[in-house]
Amino acid sequence: MSPEPALMSLTSVAQAIADKRVSSREVTQSCLNRIARWQPRLNAFMAIEAEAALKAADAADAALAKGARHGALHGVPLAHKDMYYEAGKVVTCGSRIRRDFVATTTSTALQRLKDAGTIRLGSLQMAEFAYGPTGHNSHYGPVHNPFALDRITGGSSSGSGAAVAARLTFAALGSDTGGSIRMPAHFCGVTGLKTTVGRVSRAGAMPLSQSLDTVGPLARSAEDCALLLGLMAGADPEDPTAVTGPLPDFAAATTGSIKGLTIGVPTAFYVDDLDAEVAAVLDATIAALKREGANVVQVELPDQRQLTAASQLVLAVEAAAFHKRWMIERPQDYGPQVLMRLQNGLAIPGVLYLEALRWRGPALAAHRAAVVDVDAMIAPVSPIAAPTIAESDVGNGPDAEPVIQRLTRFTRPINYLGLPSLAIPAGFTRGGLPVGMQLVGRSFDEATLLRIGAAFQRATDFHDRVPAFT
Amino acid sequence: MTRPTAKEIKAIAEIAGVPVDAEIAARIANSIGPAFDGCAAVGGTLPFDLEPATFVGVQTARTAR
Repeated sequence: MSPEPALMSLTSVAQAIADKRVSSREVTQSCLNRIARWQPRLNAFMAIEAEAALKAADAADAALAKGARHGALHGVPLAHKDMYYEAGKVVTCGSRIRRDFVATTTSTALQRLKDAGTIRLGSLQMAEFAYGPTGHNSHYGPVHNPFALDRITGGSSSGSGAAVAARLTFAALGSDTGGSIRMPAHFCGVTGLKTTVGRVSRAGAMPLSQSLDTVGPLARSAEDCALLLGLMAGADPEDPTAVTGPLPDFAAATTGSIKGLTIGVPTAFYVDDLDAEVAAVLDATIAALKREGANVVQVELPDQRQLTAASQLVLAVEAAAFHKRWMIERPQDYGPQVLMRLQNGLAIPGVLYLEALRWRGPALAAHRAAVVDVDAMIAPVSPIAAPTIAESDVGNGPDAEPVIQRLTRFTRPINYLGLPSLAIPAGFTRGGLPVGMQLVGRSFDEATLLRIGAAFQRATDFHDRVPAFT
Repeated sequence: MTRPTAKEIKAIAEIAGVPVDAEIAARIANSIGPAFDGCAAVGGTLPFDLEPATFVGVQTARTAR
């Protein structure tokens, strides 16, 4: 047993509570102790609900004493990105506009985790309306990277990345529309799963782009992501876009070998203009996967720049449409960069937006044809490790779009294609900054990604490294 | 597909019901212009019968290896 329960993995702590080797109160108190130390430095939490969490932990312990285990995560404390509605709770969406918004419904993903027995620690910081890749927030301040406090966490699930990395929560929900799970996972050294569009219900999750939004977890390992996905995935009458049909056993997938699997390495785009240390991590990751028995081959992909451009058009229009009323009534209540990006959507004619949506099917078909012989593709999440908060604080200035585009270059094409992608910690720079790689799979084949990720994590310890409190 | 000018954006935004001034229109043109360029090769080339829902069909089609 770890002397500090908060340092355990989600899977381990859930089992330890079930076996009564540790109580939910001890675990919850351990997380709260770490939150108390780290929060002033990280700004990862939007709200901390210590008293309510401890009360819920006591109730979970009492139930367990009577033989009642409510689910696979009975008594496990978690916190999530502050955009998942929970009835009766303030859900700010990282914004001033929704500073006092009290949800009247509970999001399906969150409800399913609650049904599994989880306890609420509070809510986590995020980019305003999930529309920013850096972790800056002009209303609530930037979230700081636990591995280097002067560096960004990435966004938009900034608090989720920081809180999981610093072991303040065992896992956290994020959302990924243009890279918002994978980038914090990359910059903060945690594991993040962007699910296939349609895999997890979006009911009760704040919308940004109905065509691109996905719900997924950030956690300490692929095994933990698999556990969470298994609990959240599946059909939902509240969200007709959530796919029906039987679900794979995601947890079982993480125990499998990758011997005989084929992993593709793109010949261009994802390997171009990489920081030298990111390139070295990519090479080392490929070597590790080969050692685990995977076949690695090169894949030639269609032009990814067109996918990026199409994703920008779709996102810009859909976000502007969601926000139009507030853009008219409360433009002064947006941060400058978010307002600028929302205004971008005004410039795109309807025909171009629909062309970008109509092209999505052929673009996915072309991608499938290019990767037909591989089980997954590997690529960096971003060409660089975490930049400083100061250098990425570009607001709505002329550098804003180039900075955003550079950070999200390798994530946006995957969102346009709606594919699943697992970001895994794969190394560190000489300066101690995490570097992640993304495994990109076939539509609805998260299981294979989790299998590869778990095999990689059995062979490496990057995902186990805990940032020092200095 | 041609990227819009600031003047055109100002007019489009007004029609959309969210008027912007000339400075913001210029900033939008600079910001979203590259996306227009990126999609230029696709614009006007798609087959007549293609619908957005094709994406879901491709997504759920089984892959033969």
